[in-house]
Amino acid sequence: MSRLGAAPIDDPLLRVEGLSVSFDTAMGRVRAAQDVCLDLLKGETLAIVGETGCGKSVVANSILQLIPGNASVQGRVIFSGRDLLSLSEREMAEIRGREIAIVFQNPSLALNPIIKAEEQIAEPLQIHSHLPRSLSIQMAKDMLRRLGLGVGGVAESFPFQLSGGMNQRVMIAAAMILSPRIIIADEPSKGLDRLLARQVAEELSGLRDKMDASLLLITHDLLLARDISDRISVMYSGEVVETGESQAVFDHPLHPYTKALLDCLPQRGFHPIPGASPSMIDPPGGCKFYPRCRYKHDKCMQRPDMTEKRCPNEGMDREVRCWLY
Amino acid sequence: MSLSGKKALRYLVALFLIFSLNFAIPRSMPGDPLTNLLGEDVMLTDSYVLELRAKMGLDRSWPEQYLEYWRDILKLDLGYSFHLHRSVSDIIFERMKWTLLLAVPALILGAVLGALSGARAGWKSGSCIHKMETAFFLAIYCTPPYFLSLIVLYLLSFKAGLFPLKGFYSTGSAVDIAHHLFLPMTMMTLFSLSRNYMIMRGSVLQEKGSLYAAFARAKGLYDEEILFRHVFKNALLPIITLLALDFGFILSGALFIEIVFSMNGMGSLIYDALLSRDYPILQGSFLIITIMVISANLMADLLYSRLDPRVRWQ
Amino acid sequence: MSEINPGLDTDAIAMAIHEGEESKCKKDGEGRTALARFIKKTSWAAKASGLGLALFSSFLAMAALSSLLAPYDPWIRFEPYLWPGEEHLLGTNDLGQDILSELIYGSRVSLIVGFGAALMATIIGTAVGLFSGYFKGTVDEILMGLTDIFLMIPQIPLIIVLAAFLRPSFWMVALLMGSLWWTSTARVVRSKALQVSEMGYVRAKRALGFSSLHIMLSDVLPNICHVVMPKFLLSIASAMIAEASISFLGLGDPATKSWGMMINFAFSRGGFINGYWWWYLAPGLCITLFVMSVVLVGHFLEEKEISTLRLE
Repeated sequence: MSRLGAAPIDDPLLRVEGLSVSFDTAMGRVRAAQDVCLDLLKGETLAIVGETGCGKSVVANSILQLIPGNASVQGRVIFSGRDLLSLSEREMAEIRGREIAIVFQNPSLALNPIIKAEEQIAEPLQIHSHLPRSLSIQMAKDMLRRLGLGVGGVAESFPFQLSGGMNQRVMIAAAMILSPRIIIADEPSKGLDRLLARQVAEELSGLRDKMDASLLLITHDLLLARDISDRISVMYSGEVVETGESQAVFDHPLHPYTKALLDCLPQRGFHPIPGASPSMIDPPGGCKFYPRCRYKHDKCMQRPDMTEKRCPNEGMDREVRCWLY
Repeated sequence: MSLSGKKALRYLVALFLIFSLNFAIPRSMPGDPLTNLLGEDVMLTDSYVLELRAKMGLDRSWPEQYLEYWRDILKLDLGYSFHLHRSVSDIIFERMKWTLLLAVPALILGAVLGALSGARAGWKSGSCIHKMETAFFLAIYCTPPYFLSLIVLYLLSFKAGLFPLKGFYSTGSAVDIAHHLFLPMTMMTLFSLSRNYMIMRGSVLQEKGSLYAAFARAKGLYDEEILFRHVFKNALLPIITLLALDFGFILSGALFIEIVFSMNGMGSLIYDALLSRDYPILQGSFLIITIMVISANLMADLLYSRLDPRVRWQ
Repeated sequence: MSEINPGLDTDAIAMAIHEGEESKCKKDGEGRTALARFIKKTSWAAKASGLGLALFSSFLAMAALSSLLAPYDPWIRFEPYLWPGEEHLLGTNDLGQDILSELIYGSRVSLIVGFGAALMATIIGTAVGLFSGYFKGTVDEILMGLTDIFLMIPQIPLIIVLAAFLRPSFWMVALLMGSLWWTSTARVVRSKALQVSEMGYVRAKRALGFSSLHIMLSDVLPNICHVVMPKFLLSIASAMIAEASISFLGLGDPATKSWGMMINFAFSRGGFINGYWWWYLAPGLCITLFVMSVVLVGHFLEEKEISTLRLE
């Protein structure tokens, strides 16, 4: 399924085209992502936001073919002129960690508890660049210093001795050590308190600036997304419903879901959205948000395409999946 | 009390218990304790029997006997076998070296091969070849070791005449010893291998789905790199103690294999002692075997606490 | 921002990710009959445990229906050392007794010893683990210390020594083995009991003043059942091999003929030397197959338990 409208300004670094992911489970076929289209431009931060379970982590992991074998994946992910989804495991192993890196949720579990932090950070250097161990450990320690963990013997410590926030930074160090062109951060703020979450996000941003990389930020924290990302894509129930410049989407949300989502924020009055998210096993036809939408009418029984809407005050075009536009 | 203090206490108590059991069993079993201590069907004159009774202190109270017993133990005196006309400790130490010659290399080889192939099987659990391999080792795991040895002995020695039927050696040359040892050593290794294989496979299967393995993959590690740089270590640690406990089981298996192949080690010693009711030998053997197993456990425990940083840095 | 609806979908995805691990070898079955399709769709693990269950039931049937299945009374003597033939499908032993009948009746003894030992081990192990995990503190320390000590004692040598002195009947053998094997069950029960006793409803009951015994029986016990089952089955396997081993040494009950005793007789009464392989092959195979069936079912249950833990 193709998008309507003009091509973006630059040639995107990463283009996700019509990504659909579904799992076969005992409970039925779970459609985790449906026809997701995203562009990640060079040097930008794109945030994918949505509620828990909307499929954003699945999309992030699919880019690097990190989802389990029983998933059926359709669509294309174009990077450097190649479709990542068609590559073999060996070819993907070359790209992971070196050109595209990912940082998981739950840092304390994502690190091997019995291997020292510095070794885990040095590992990509040994695997991809074949550097000798001593040199790679030295570089790992440097990386930790840049992230503010140079003192206190953190490098020689084991993950079980470090706090969640420290482990998160160790994981970021391991992901960034080869200066990848794209960093995918999957809920980097999960499990951390507000202040720490912000610090981590700002560090990510800062590092991205220095390395001139692109950042794909997955989060449910709308304010964080607005503050550090250039563009935002809003996902609902496996679909992208709105994409646009961050501040613009915040100030003038177009899709009814985005409007309702913003209304949930404490700053806007804490108004919850009535109803519940639809099941991903038996998705209703038509617009996913239809049952809970304030502006619904009969046409919404059919699934809308992504349309472009020109907003004269803003830098770039907005895309919305709604019959209203 | 610190953790290592508690552990040391447990080992000491275990040893103490074993030695005391060894003391208590012959004296509390049905029948004349003297017979239980000497063995049945021993031909001795009546006056000598009386002498022995006094010498062994059977006419004294239990606490006195107990102290006497400990004194003997510390002198490494495990009693005297009237059937074989030698001191028990002499016989056991002589036979033990043959058993160890058979058991130790097989144990180590089986452990290493079993751990490696079990790890691979756990890692590639979907592959059909590995499924068949697992089925094969499962069958070996479930077969009583002496039964398998019987069949192999029958087929390869009896029928095909490829290997000698009994004993450790005929002429004493190295090649000859190797020829004799080949079959029993292979059986022992297979036995040890199958057990280690199953345990390691299970452990790797459990660790395979962990998040750190997924993150290693996300960093660009490919397949077996993930296994050997990460999962293997994590999978090995919790089972080191299991493997050490298995040592006792495998040593027992060695005894049976020895019996089947008529080797001149502890196994045949115990078998003959059972037939002739030579109790001192039985008790002495039990004692020595238990001490060996407990020592193996101790070593494994120490090894584990050195290897697992979570324990080391408490 | 609050999490609006974490419910069903994250569970579905989590389960999908878990099942992804298992279903790599599966393909969409297009078998002609419903049975063929069913067989194709079930995973290897399920197939293996199904086979195990089938074997297990057949052996149970063999033991229960011995008098119906065996062609002769195993104690009647015919002509000795007969080769397998029409009259005696597995030939006769050195006393002229029909080996097939011995085999079928032997299943009773082996199974009773196996089950008896496993039952005893499970009961002791569950009790120890339960008390240890529920009361914690000093009770836990003492019981776990005891468990460690028992774990270190090599079981088969001890049984050999005791059996040499006692010349026990097969009931005694079962009892002896059971009193040594409870340790692994105790460990597993303890960790589960620790888990359950920390749960909200148990603590609530304690606060309300229910007696410890009552809580243990009504709340903790039912939750540990599915942990105990696989251990029980695996204990049966160990017990059977152990029984076969000591019978092989001639320490079994001479009045009853377990499979292990049959192998012993074969070895010591000229069966091996004279090449009467069927004498020891049949009981040995039976032991192996039965142990395999038990292990298959037990492993399957254990892995199921582990995978449910992973989801939680």
